[in-house]
Amino acid sequence: MKFSTTIKALGLTAAVVLAPLMASGAQAAGTITVATTIDPGSWDPIDTFIVPWSSAANNIYDGLTSRGPDMKLQPALATSWEFLDNNNRIRFKLRQNVKFHNGEPFNAAAVKFTFDRLLGDEGKKGPQQSNYTSITKVEIVDDYTVDFIMKQPDPVLLTKLAGYGGMIVPPKYIQEKGDAYFNLNPVGTGPFKFVEYTPKVNLVLEAFPEHWAGAPKLDKVVTRFIPEANTQVAELQAGRVDVATLIPFGLAPTVEKSPNLTLVSITGPTVVSLRLNTKEGITKDVNVRKALIMGVDRDAIIKAVLLGHGKPIASFQSDLSFGNDPAMKPLPFDLAKAKQMLQQAGVQPGAPVRIDFRGNDATFREVAQAAAGYFQALGLKPAVQPHEVSVLLNDIIPNGKTGEAWHNAWGGWTFDYDNTAYLMYHSGEKWNPYDNDPKLNALLEKQRTMYDVKEREKVLQEVARYVADQALEIPLYNQNTVIGVNKRVKNFVPPADLRFRFNDVTVE
Amino acid sequence: MAGFILKRLLQAVFVVLAVTLIVSFAIRLSGDPAVMLVGGAGSVSEQDLQNIRQALGLERPFYVQYFSFLEGILTGDFGKSFMGGTPVSLLIKNALPATLLLAFASLITSIILSVPLGIYAAVNRGRWPDQAIRILSLVGLSFPNFWLAIMMVLFFSIMLGLLPPSGMEGPESFVMPALTMAIILTATNVRLVRTSMLETLSQQYIMVARSKGLRDRVVLYKHALRNSAIPLVTYIGLQFGGLIGGIVIIERVFNWPGMGTLAFDAIANRDYPVLQGTITVLALFIVLINLLVDIAYGLIDPRIRTE
Repeated sequence: MKFSTTIKALGLTAAVVLAPLMASGAQAAGTITVATTIDPGSWDPIDTFIVPWSSAANNIYDGLTSRGPDMKLQPALATSWEFLDNNNRIRFKLRQNVKFHNGEPFNAAAVKFTFDRLLGDEGKKGPQQSNYTSITKVEIVDDYTVDFIMKQPDPVLLTKLAGYGGMIVPPKYIQEKGDAYFNLNPVGTGPFKFVEYTPKVNLVLEAFPEHWAGAPKLDKVVTRFIPEANTQVAELQAGRVDVATLIPFGLAPTVEKSPNLTLVSITGPTVVSLRLNTKEGITKDVNVRKALIMGVDRDAIIKAVLLGHGKPIASFQSDLSFGNDPAMKPLPFDLAKAKQMLQQAGVQPGAPVRIDFRGNDATFREVAQAAAGYFQALGLKPAVQPHEVSVLLNDIIPNGKTGEAWHNAWGGWTFDYDNTAYLMYHSGEKWNPYDNDPKLNALLEKQRTMYDVKEREKVLQEVARYVADQALEIPLYNQNTVIGVNKRVKNFVPPADLRFRFNDVTVE
Repeated sequence: MAGFILKRLLQAVFVVLAVTLIVSFAIRLSGDPAVMLVGGAGSVSEQDLQNIRQALGLERPFYVQYFSFLEGILTGDFGKSFMGGTPVSLLIKNALPATLLLAFASLITSIILSVPLGIYAAVNRGRWPDQAIRILSLVGLSFPNFWLAIMMVLFFSIMLGLLPPSGMEGPESFVMPALTMAIILTATNVRLVRTSMLETLSQQYIMVARSKGLRDRVVLYKHALRNSAIPLVTYIGLQFGGLIGGIVIIERVFNWPGMGTLAFDAIANRDYPVLQGTITVLALFIVLINLLVDIAYGLIDPRIRTE
């Protein structure tokens, strides 16, 4: 054959190309590689709101306070604090002999600079400023003491100082190099310092031996941006990524079965509910709303759709959240009773129930279909309506154009019910298009002025019970944070909020 | 020739302008970047969103935004990404070579595979090698590219541990993405080469060449292949343009840091400057390639050159 040589040659070429390629799989000792989903584009604390920023940058920066995987608040760059002037002034004592990665000293001036910047024009351009508006200004008392002057009480402030916009930045460096340079070349006081950032590819950090909490045990932390779940899992299986942060429930068994990997499934911040339309449709009636709650078997949904990676909730918060009442139980699943309640409320068979949801959420699509199945079993006529995310969030919900039920998913990193409840249930808020309940408003406002932890917790629990009593939503589940970890990683306690900190972590 | 090129260049400018206008307009219909920026979560008030919109320059009328974008292009400044303010030109500078290299590698691989296979099928028309190649090409055409990509990762990376599943690190990173693209391209190209070759082989001048007693090899390569190459060059040229634009899924699966990834993320985040910049550059390339294809005709077929 005349062309058989050509084909042979081709085969040979392919073999030659493929054969010598050994996977560059094995990781260098002392390097941990983490896969996150999105490249935040800027490493400046005031520019971002996304979790993947914190997964990496939590190693670059320190806040005045810190919060570890146990969700307990600890001193960090501030060693202690006290409330003065009737809680209008919070005085922080700062840690001494702390240096930024560029050698600049950390002191009161750095704290003041950080918050002047966050609360000023620079911060205005980003999404972080709004979280810190309870602060009027920061005053320097001496080199290692600062006062936060408060505009209004903010019981969650100490938590907010542990992350995101509250991270302390170097004044001289930013003034000299400019904001645009700082975005791409971050400097902080954290345990790892910046080495290299390739947009859309990775961020490389190396140990900062002079860190105030002691030198980290790892040499390097590499964060790779991999938005596709299948790709993250493949990289994890190939041993080229040590921690994968995007494991959809469907891929969890794959990770679980791999001998060199561990699947971590822990309580996370994300809660999911079906909020109900209290203004129009059959859900106007509180008894109908209660019937719908009792008609949906959330345990079955968690088992079938989430493959067990979640917990049922009684209020719109996780059990890690401040304000959660473990004694509170959701209305039980009881199809017969629910049917009877609908009948008593005079709901006609075949009455429509529309569920609006975020079309890009594949998991919730299945949940919505399951819920629709239950509504059908109640004799109603359900419809599921996917929407483009920004259309749902910007138009349909705030302008009160929803169906009888809509998909509500929420997850604040502060783990404080206030952040959720106020925005969800206070009148005039974007997420509350239908209700104006003076009693609920008063409760929500009251807890915002309270520093007494126990008292505030009580009020927040009262809010949760009141919301359940009014049946404003069908509380569904608290979704687990699911991550995959290579077994060569030791001493790693994964935090529920994915704000990693690798000080004590080692790799084999 | 110079007049021809000039005319085409003018057309190109018009096409690119039209593309920028459509893209800039269309993306603005699809949602609010300020909301995408804060992820729809947290305690963000309408005032905060307003501040962000103002900082991003979104409160200006559309035509002002569009003209300032055009003005930027002329001075080589594509603006800054809404996500973190990275200069768009920097993002494109990093991403463009990655995409071009991948597209080029895919195309070359596809040509290396499809030309000999196509000729082989044509020469053996109706016999089993022809049948086999045609069936294989049908199978290749039926693969969804993302599925093929995932299967390759499963086989080469997870089962054999030979190749990195994603990223662009060394030459080995190219193998799977380029092969995935090449297999799908080859499926169509083989058929094209085969048909075109068959047509040429039935021409009288081939018969003349044969009857002169020329060797088969000479007839095939010197007479037939060159004449079959015209439709092939057109098609491959267009393919290259399509490849650059259509590489999105492959880039996504292999986490390839190219223009597709950039455009995909930009659409998801409503990152107007990045999307506008990416699409403009891609449009420029596609127009340029079409121009090159037209010029290449002339080189292959002297009859076209004079027109």
